[in-house]
Amino acid sequence: MEQFKKKFLEEANDLINSLEDSLLILEEKPTEKKIIEEVFRVMHSLKGGSSMFGFAKMDAFTHELETIYDMIRSGTLSVTREILDITLAAVDHLKVLLENGEEISETQQNNQNILLSRIHKIINKDAQEEITADTATSNVAAHKESEDKSKVYEKVPTYFIAIKPEEDIFRNGTNPMLLIDELHTLGHCKAFVKTSRLPSFEQLDPEKAFFYWEVFLATDKSIDEIKDVFIFVEDVCNVTISRIADDNLLAKTVFIRELDNFIEPVKETGQSELEAFVAKLKYNEPSLQEEGLSFRADEAAPMKRLSINNIRVSSEKLDDLMNLVSELVTVQASLSLFADNQDNPELAAISESIEKISRQLRDNTFEICLIPIETIMIRFKRLVRDLSNELDKEIQFTTEGTETELDKSIIDGLSEPLMHIFRNAIDHGIEPAEDRLAKGKPRKGKIAFKSYYSGTNVYIQVKDDGRGIDVEKIRQKAIARGFISPEANLSYKELLNLVFLPGFSTAAKVSEVSGRGVGLDVVVKKINDIRGDVEIESQLGVGTTFTIKLPLTLSIIDGLLVKIDKTFFVLPLSSVDKCFEVQDDALVKSFNNKIVLDGKQVPFINLRKEFDIHDNKPILHQIIQVNHDDFKIGLSVDTVIGEYQAVLKPLGRMFKDLEIVSGATILGDGTIALVLDPARVINTFDRETLERREKLYRENHRKDIQLHAGY
Amino acid sequence: MSETKTGGTLTSYLSFRLGEEMFAADVSKVLEILEMRSITKVPRSPSYMRGVINLRGSVLPVLDTRIKFGMPATEDTVDTCIVVLNVIMEGEPLTLGALVDSVEEVLELTETDIEAPPTIGSKFNPEYMHGMVKMDDNFIMVLNVDKVFSTDELVMVAETADKARPAVEEVKE
Repeated sequence: MEQFKKKFLEEANDLINSLEDSLLILEEKPTEKKIIEEVFRVMHSLKGGSSMFGFAKMDAFTHELETIYDMIRSGTLSVTREILDITLAAVDHLKVLLENGEEISETQQNNQNILLSRIHKIINKDAQEEITADTATSNVAAHKESEDKSKVYEKVPTYFIAIKPEEDIFRNGTNPMLLIDELHTLGHCKAFVKTSRLPSFEQLDPEKAFFYWEVFLATDKSIDEIKDVFIFVEDVCNVTISRIADDNLLAKTVFIRELDNFIEPVKETGQSELEAFVAKLKYNEPSLQEEGLSFRADEAAPMKRLSINNIRVSSEKLDDLMNLVSELVTVQASLSLFADNQDNPELAAISESIEKISRQLRDNTFEICLIPIETIMIRFKRLVRDLSNELDKEIQFTTEGTETELDKSIIDGLSEPLMHIFRNAIDHGIEPAEDRLAKGKPRKGKIAFKSYYSGTNVYIQVKDDGRGIDVEKIRQKAIARGFISPEANLSYKELLNLVFLPGFSTAAKVSEVSGRGVGLDVVVKKINDIRGDVEIESQLGVGTTFTIKLPLTLSIIDGLLVKIDKTFFVLPLSSVDKCFEVQDDALVKSFNNKIVLDGKQVPFINLRKEFDIHDNKPILHQIIQVNHDDFKIGLSVDTVIGEYQAVLKPLGRMFKDLEIVSGATILGDGTIALVLDPARVINTFDRETLERREKLYRENHRKDIQLHAGY
Repeated sequence: MSETKTGGTLTSYLSFRLGEEMFAADVSKVLEILEMRSITKVPRSPSYMRGVINLRGSVLPVLDTRIKFGMPATEDTVDTCIVVLNVIMEGEPLTLGALVDSVEEVLELTETDIEAPPTIGSKFNPEYMHGMVKMDDNFIMVLNVDKVFSTDELVMVAETADKARPAVEEVKE
């Protein structure tokens, strides 16, 4: 367990560092959507990770932060200096939490509480305003509008307006409430009702007005425009308007908070008092220190220097390293050739040493770049276990092909999106046991992980047998969110792919585990970052399969090196079954492209013929028997050289249509060998396979027809 | 590049020979010139793809320019070279090698030295030409390197006008 925690802490460190960067960018460009999304994603990942590894404090903390950025993301809140200050302080606090785990000192706990309350304040700010406004006016139709405007009104002046209606203002049909409503339409407005003139109940004359109001208004309108509001009531209402600040005081939390204490409902606010109050606040800009937060730069980064066990190197650098090593091997091969011809024992010794070192260097470089997918599997096993307990679901988790090796950077980039996929499968995919039994499914849900090589790609599949995706729901949701028009005619696949759009979530509720619609667009973004693709297949009631296709640029395959004429080819060893030696005339005289191997008739493909190579025909051919689907097929070559670890290199765009060759590899002496994709070779050349498929298709088709005829 | 007396900007072009024809390519597109070496033939690739070579650890596709230009294939000689070019294919840079019979020289030309390619009676499709230059009674075709090498088609037919037509039509598709 410690090992996972450690891994998480390392990751969290990275996430927090990138978060700080993003926040600083956000300060410059507060409306940049991409950055907001980025910040939100980091929060989301931190929350997910900390909840998964039982860091309850961090989980609670990041959850609140996430909520803020969710509001910003959806446009309910806008980024302010205040929010950024709090977030940065929160980031510092997160570092403390990361450093000390769950055991934090009292001051730090205090810090957390203060930060949390401030965060709550931001989240609930809208709600508070609504309440104050409601106490002032009974019908605040314009409230919503003024709230929207408040975002724009950061820099506008604030006015203080005292509205004192004459007692008999009602006589001419004036409703002072409407005046206040109108003020709300001008800008950001906060009204206080004054009750000092209210007589005792016995003396109350319902036809007379006793209330009066004091209103704070932040607006870009001129004082004359404000006066225009009262133009029809000038003689029945005593209105004083004064400008009290050049900026929007109502946007400042301290002002709002202090204001409630300052304004007394039973006493008229004096002009001088007000000025003093505003002046005092001006010099008391809200600061975190004032709130008792003790963060200082030296304390803010209390991370004990973690001893560096692992370093991250950009894959570009590794690519460069790899190329340089290949180059070295090439040069070394020519050196040994030269040394062999020189008959100079000293030179031969040097050349041998260099050969040894360069081989070691090559092996090391390969090792640096490649790690099996197994290394990240353990955490997913744990995730499935924990989450299924938490959600009270029974899940059987199987893995296959975890020995598949991938580039380190690809594996790194893979873990986060895979985590989201697993969460989705557990949370949304697999149904509770009772539901499953009711549907006639086995009690235990199944999640299967599988990875395998195919050509130049590694495929990773996560398959669940859960409830599947209801595309009709997706369609409705997409229409509701404005992603597609109601008339849009989308295919099943296109509809399914809508779930990858940012901000799209089919879950009705926001859940602790997944939800809020970040999961799947993160998956796509992260997989694209490592040059991969994601595909989704789903059948309602049957299950969902995510397939991730990753490039193999730096991956190594164990191959069998063979030769036809002068050209070297590599066949992936995983598909090779056996090698046989046959006479040339056995191939030529073979009937129906079948040859007897091990006493069985095996179809074969004469690669010489198919590749159009006619020179230097050998007397003896080698037949490589390969496994394809569930039958065996032979491929004929001239010579088998032996096992070879092939570093796959792309052939490039000039050969992008060439399916049978999945890449090239550079041999020790610098020669290029072509890596064949046996499955594609067979599909391309084996007529019998084609015919078999055709037959199969026809049979299935006939079944379909029969089925239809049956109805 | 430098200024001439007439004020035109000098651009360098690498001239090379394919059979009897002379061609030139903007030097800024040429990365290096390699001696002929063994080329790994890639099966089932277009006829003009000679194969791939190892260029310092990466795989470089090599085109047989003669075939690409619709000329008959010949045996390689000691003069045969691989010109490594950096072309723009579908908006992205691509490095490839082009086999030529021999590399001649670097020409310094101003824009005015290059005449517009003839539209009628030429055995080459003007679409792939930047223009032509007259040198000692010979014409040198200045190639539009990006266009010539980024298309999948055989681009030009050199021998007869009859053969030229289908190739041009193919390109238009």
